[in-house]
Amino acid sequence: MVDQFSTAAEAFGAAVKRFTSRDEAIAALRGIVAGRPAAASELPAEVRQQLGDLAHVPLHALDRAEVGISFASAGIAATGSLLLELSDPASRSATALPPIHAAFLKASAIVPDLYALSDTLSALLSSPGSRYLSIITGPSRTADIERVLTIGVHGPKELHILILEGE
Amino acid sequence: MGRDVIKQKINDAFLRKALKNFAAAYPVARAKAFEGIDFEELRGRISAFKEEGLKRLPELVRQFTASAEKAGARVHLCATPEEANRTIHDIIRGKGADFLVKSKAMTSEEIELNHYLEERGIRCLETDLGEWIIQLAGERPSHMVMPAIHKNREDVAELFSKATGKECPPDIPHLVQVARETLRSGFLTGQVGMSGANVAMADTGAIGIVTNEGNGRLVTTLPRTHIALIGVEKIVPSLAEALDVINILPKNATGQKITSYVSFIKGPTGGEGRELHIVLLDNGRLRLAADTDFSEALKCVKCGACANVCPIYEIVGGHVFGHIYVGGIGLVLTPFFHGFDRAEEILRLCIGCRKCNEVCASKIDIEGLIVDLRDKIRKPVGQKFLFGTLMKNRKLFHATLRAAYIAQKPFQGEGGRIRHLPLILNREAANRSLPPIAEKPFRDLIAERPGTGDRGPGTREKVLFFSGCLADFVYPEMCQDTVKSLEALGYEVSFPREQTCCGIPARYSGEMEAARDLARINTDVLLKEDADYVVTICPTCTMSLRHDFPKLLAGDTVWQEKAERLAARTFNFSELAARKAETGEWGPGTGKGEKQTVTYHDACHLKRGCGVHEQPRKVLKELVGVEIAEMADCDKCCGFGGSYSIKYPEISQEVLKNKMENIVATGSRTVAVDCPGCKLQIEGGLEAAGAGIAVEHSATLLARRLKQGR
Repeated sequence: MVDQFSTAAEAFGAAVKRFTSRDEAIAALRGIVAGRPAAASELPAEVRQQLGDLAHVPLHALDRAEVGISFASAGIAATGSLLLELSDPASRSATALPPIHAAFLKASAIVPDLYALSDTLSALLSSPGSRYLSIITGPSRTADIERVLTIGVHGPKELHILILEGE
Repeated sequence: MGRDVIKQKINDAFLRKALKNFAAAYPVARAKAFEGIDFEELRGRISAFKEEGLKRLPELVRQFTASAEKAGARVHLCATPEEANRTIHDIIRGKGADFLVKSKAMTSEEIELNHYLEERGIRCLETDLGEWIIQLAGERPSHMVMPAIHKNREDVAELFSKATGKECPPDIPHLVQVARETLRSGFLTGQVGMSGANVAMADTGAIGIVTNEGNGRLVTTLPRTHIALIGVEKIVPSLAEALDVINILPKNATGQKITSYVSFIKGPTGGEGRELHIVLLDNGRLRLAADTDFSEALKCVKCGACANVCPIYEIVGGHVFGHIYVGGIGLVLTPFFHGFDRAEEILRLCIGCRKCNEVCASKIDIEGLIVDLRDKIRKPVGQKFLFGTLMKNRKLFHATLRAAYIAQKPFQGEGGRIRHLPLILNREAANRSLPPIAEKPFRDLIAERPGTGDRGPGTREKVLFFSGCLADFVYPEMCQDTVKSLEALGYEVSFPREQTCCGIPARYSGEMEAARDLARINTDVLLKEDADYVVTICPTCTMSLRHDFPKLLAGDTVWQEKAERLAARTFNFSELAARKAETGEWGPGTGKGEKQTVTYHDACHLKRGCGVHEQPRKVLKELVGVEIAEMADCDKCCGFGGSYSIKYPEISQEVLKNKMENIVATGSRTVAVDCPGCKLQIEGGLEAAGAGIAVEHSATLLARRLKQGR
């Protein structure tokens, strides 16, 4: 299923890398950020800690960030999509404003297709706390001029997916 | 629709090329997107829950309102565009704001929100690239999903240069970058954000939005107030139904498996000071949902597929084919949302090919709704006489056709075909020649026939032949070939002389009473003699006898039973002939030399009206003994559409050109058809172009082969 996810995500224009340890993944993320200003949305506490100063742009100054970092709740193998639960607007902006979006995804959170995600989505939509769910597939795109596919309109121009296979 | 506008669109070289390229690319992309998915099952489900939902739409509105308000949103149900505009204006002013940043919402186009707000000093910024382009151009969308499909890169460069004050080269990636940079400040400074929604869920009060560019997420995230303007018909019971809509939408709209972003929003996000206002737009929807005849139209999920496959949309685009909502469903929804004033001219743009029905995401009988709607509206002057008096009286109608044989004489050219008609009628004959009305119609020829004809061996099942007017009066030899073929295949054939027009021209013109009268007359005539089958060689007649008669006569138990009995025994010629191919008795034999190659054109009403497309090919291959070289878009309309080719000759000719290109590309010297109308149209075009390609009804090809073989 991880293979299928990777193939599909790449077909939609995402860059996918697979890691057996989280340290390797974070090292790869450091390579993607390449010293540019980065901001992170809500992350699991220990991941946030491991990132250290990698994501130093505060969420209220997002227009300065060139890379946004997130942690997906689930993945869809059929389309290489990510599910993000980002109910805080600032946190969400970190995945919407910067030209580059890098997301972690646990291999174990990948499901076969959209319908296989319905229990998860249903539970989230019924819980009072979660207010904004995004299923993201590839970078931002348009074909509004002469139907020519062009990447990177208003959302990120690049989507990097870091799959954590050990988790 | 004004002829000038239609001409202008036909002559717009870029528009034509863009639409033609899209028409070619779309089916390929769509098929790929649906790989591994049972489209019929999926749309069957959508159709069922939409239908169920419409029956209890007021309840769904109440349930959604309660759930959304529980989640912290404020819901405003607005009956009219005026009320929706005023509500949105008041929300914006209530925030002390004067700048609205928007993502795509067809509902906003429907109520002409930008116009309303800008008149009152509120700036509106469309951020969807296509919407921004048409906002800058001061136009309206020409497609529900690709609003600026009619604009080329040069147009866009000019608009962007003017908007930014900087010279923009006509380079697409550059133009997209300009949009990104220019609109960015709009997202960051917009005080209120607006979106539409593709689906709304009654149980949780959440809305679902499907986008590609990412502007949808930005306008629902950055401004502290979010207004979602949603048509009430978008409400579904729960997530399960919403997922089906989200699954089918991008695949059917643009051939994408999934869009870049699918967002579910439930209540305002981000705590204190954040507001979500949901403006539910009625604008006639609740009344339409309760309308027993037309509620089906509201099942539409606004994917635009009906425009994508429409042969007329491909020629004229969305500024002609519809109003705010375009394509087949646009023709139906426009009168309900925007009034019946212009309904007649909009509705008659449909040629009736039913291609839209084949792809509709919620399985709406779009073409059927268009035909039924024509009954509801003002009719052109003179039409009542034509259908109410002339066509209902068989003797008068047939006498008129006979008189036309004399009247046409002066216009007949070499070979008897008509090339030049006087005055206004001449537009019709442009670029094609017309066959004359025959000196002796088939009904006279068969009456003169000696004996019982040449009956072959076989079971002698009895067939009543319903020829249809066009074949009877214009192609009597086609009728004779039908009788010969059927008899040679072992059927006993007779022709009830009292048969008359099947009523389709009346029905398509909205003259339902006349159509009903003709249905009754023909039903009686065709049931009077006991027979195994009624056979037609005109697919429109087949469709009429099989599907329309029972529908037209429903409600009256006696007539309905009769109509259903007739429908059950009615077949197209190719269906009856194909049965004999299965027995193996009438094979074409080994033949001499190479097999002849023909190409086959599927008549709209045969393939989509009757579901018949394999049998004609079986007849050609196994009985006539020819090879078939399939043409591209073999089942796309030829542009005839009965009276359509007279009402809109310019459009009809352009549709025909596409068909002829596909025919010529096969290299075949013969086109086989199963429809006298298609023969008339295609033959006329090919002859005028000097293509040297013959168009023959399958019955004629079969009669020739059987004659050779015996």
